[in-house]
Amino acid sequence: MLIRLASASVAVALSVALSACTTGVGSAADGSEADASSSSSARAVAHARGETAVPAAPQRVVVLEPVALDTTIALGIVPVGAAVLNEAAGVPAYLGDEAASIETVGTVTEPDVEKIASLAPDLVIGTESRHSALYDQLSAVAPTVFLASQADPWKDNVALVGEALGRADEATALLADYQARCDEIASEFDVSGTAQLIRPRDGLLTLYGPESFAGSTLECVGFETPERDWEDSISVDLSPEKVLDATADQVFVTTTDVSDESTTPEAISDNASAFPELHLVDQSYWITGVGPLGGLAVLDDIEGVLSRTR
Amino acid sequence: MTRLPDDRRPAERTPAERRPAERPQARRIPVGAGIAVAVVALLIAALLSLALGANALSPRLVLDTLAGGGTDESRFVVIEQRLPRTLVGAVVGVGLGGAGALMQALTRNPLADPGILGVNAGAAAAVAVAVVFFGVVEIGQYVWFAFGGALVLTAVVSVLGSAGRVRADPVRLTLAGLAVGAVLSGVTTGLTLTNPDAFERLLGWSAGSLVGRGLDGLAPVAPLVALGAMLALVVAPALNAVALGDDTAVSQGVHLARTRLLSLAAITLLAGTATALAGPISFVGLMIPHVVRWGIGVDHRRIVVGSMLVAPVLVLVSDVVGRVLVSPSEMPVGIVTAFVGAPVLVVLVRRRRGATAL
Repeated sequence: MLIRLASASVAVALSVALSACTTGVGSAADGSEADASSSSSARAVAHARGETAVPAAPQRVVVLEPVALDTTIALGIVPVGAAVLNEAAGVPAYLGDEAASIETVGTVTEPDVEKIASLAPDLVIGTESRHSALYDQLSAVAPTVFLASQADPWKDNVALVGEALGRADEATALLADYQARCDEIASEFDVSGTAQLIRPRDGLLTLYGPESFAGSTLECVGFETPERDWEDSISVDLSPEKVLDATADQVFVTTTDVSDESTTPEAISDNASAFPELHLVDQSYWITGVGPLGGLAVLDDIEGVLSRTR
Repeated sequence: MTRLPDDRRPAERTPAERRPAERPQARRIPVGAGIAVAVVALLIAALLSLALGANALSPRLVLDTLAGGGTDESRFVVIEQRLPRTLVGAVVGVGLGGAGALMQALTRNPLADPGILGVNAGAAAAVAVAVVFFGVVEIGQYVWFAFGGALVLTAVVSVLGSAGRVRADPVRLTLAGLAVGAVLSGVTTGLTLTNPDAFERLLGWSAGSLVGRGLDGLAPVAPLVALGAMLALVVAPALNAVALGDDTAVSQGVHLARTRLLSLAAITLLAGTATALAGPISFVGLMIPHVVRWGIGVDHRRIVVGSMLVAPVLVLVSDVVGRVLVSPSEMPVGIVTAFVGAPVLVVLVRRRRGATAL
């Protein structure tokens, strides 16, 4: 395993080095061109790697982080390229038909710089915690703005993406819409009690806390997350032996196929009486759909559950 | 560690003098006592595996539960979780120990383990294909893919290792296993790099874990382990002769090709099943035959039987440690065996320098 990982990283390092050479040559021309076009209307955007001059209204955006993809589409711009979590699955279906045609530029963990360059973007949005090593190469391709970390509060990241796109006010409005939808559900159903989101993984149960995207959305409509030591993390892992510690008034379990009851982890289905209110939810937006659109999709699910169980 | 000075090749020795020469120092533990110790250790390990875990139940409650009482929670923890995984852990241990002992005898390489024949690489590649192309999610469904992968790979390695020759030669087998294994590792890495979902799932599997392994996965493959264990016992006496060199073995009337074929079949059944059930668990197959040889001597009948008794002890105890150490979460058993196994192996190699080499 170690050897395999090592050889993989060598291969990656080589390909990065190679692409650095190729993009390095082309970037001189690209860079001056970008400077010329942006000099008239460039804005300075402060981000994780300092300050970058960005076109007033970027048109050809490449996004390397799910929250940036979701937010950009929510702001009415269809990116020309997006790094995805799973190249086989492509852009998540919840983002709609328009998003389905977005070109993929590698995976979120391994973006393909050459492919990004070939799309001639005028803005790249990445993440310092994931793409730190690629910043110089990406900057040579186009003005590049980095979020600090995907683990930061997601609303802060939405705001920064809005600013980078020159649509800061619209981004604020999206977050306000999300909050309004939360309040609407909260008052319509008079939500109370606890809710817990569980993601089954390798036989263990990963519990998501109040700091996580979907966990915060559950709290947003008025649910409480059961007390637990979250170890300063957005989630904690639980042995199946401790499954009864994962109970709550409403329990949401992520799956890739919500219509297939058999995707419920055995530890939970064996203790069905301890989980009277159990709901299978779509992993593609409950876990990875960070952003205003994913948030609204999660809220729709919550509303559906509440109206069924009322 | 004194070896009797003996310049003659083994073939020149008479059978009467060969025995003491092959076992230069007296066995430290009588065979019967050694086996008894192993059985007792196995029982204790199984009890520990039932008694301890991420959910700290009192010993009294565990006993009540085993006697048919207990609470709903204790019944779930002990009967639904710990009992099946204890059985799976024991079977995995039998598979890894038996395969390791055969592997070291067959290749006359004291550092051989089932991974050298590419069993793990074949199983991992098959699981990667299952995850990426067939969307398999449940670990229980990996079993058949993993076993199929291990089976196909050993077959390919056996054919490559013996191609163009009358019989498979240990060195060629080893090289073929390493080469094919390396190619498949590349395929697995390629598949998982483009699909981080698969990477994440495979990472969990490839650490080697007993979490969530149940009787539904064990039942269909248990007969395969039993068959492998029987083959191992059948072939073990012939391996004593093989250990002296091919020419000696032939002169003693051993059918080399048949011995190798049977050994390979047993290794595939044992290691393939173990890997299919738990993912690749390192060090067990490598280390246990040395422990056994150190305890009860170099006769392969004893090493094979002993390894199949002692390896489950290591697997079960390591699993218990992994369950207790990071409660309320769990650590995969494969990581614990690596931590336990590496130092033990170093100690053994230093103490028995030379004598572990066959």
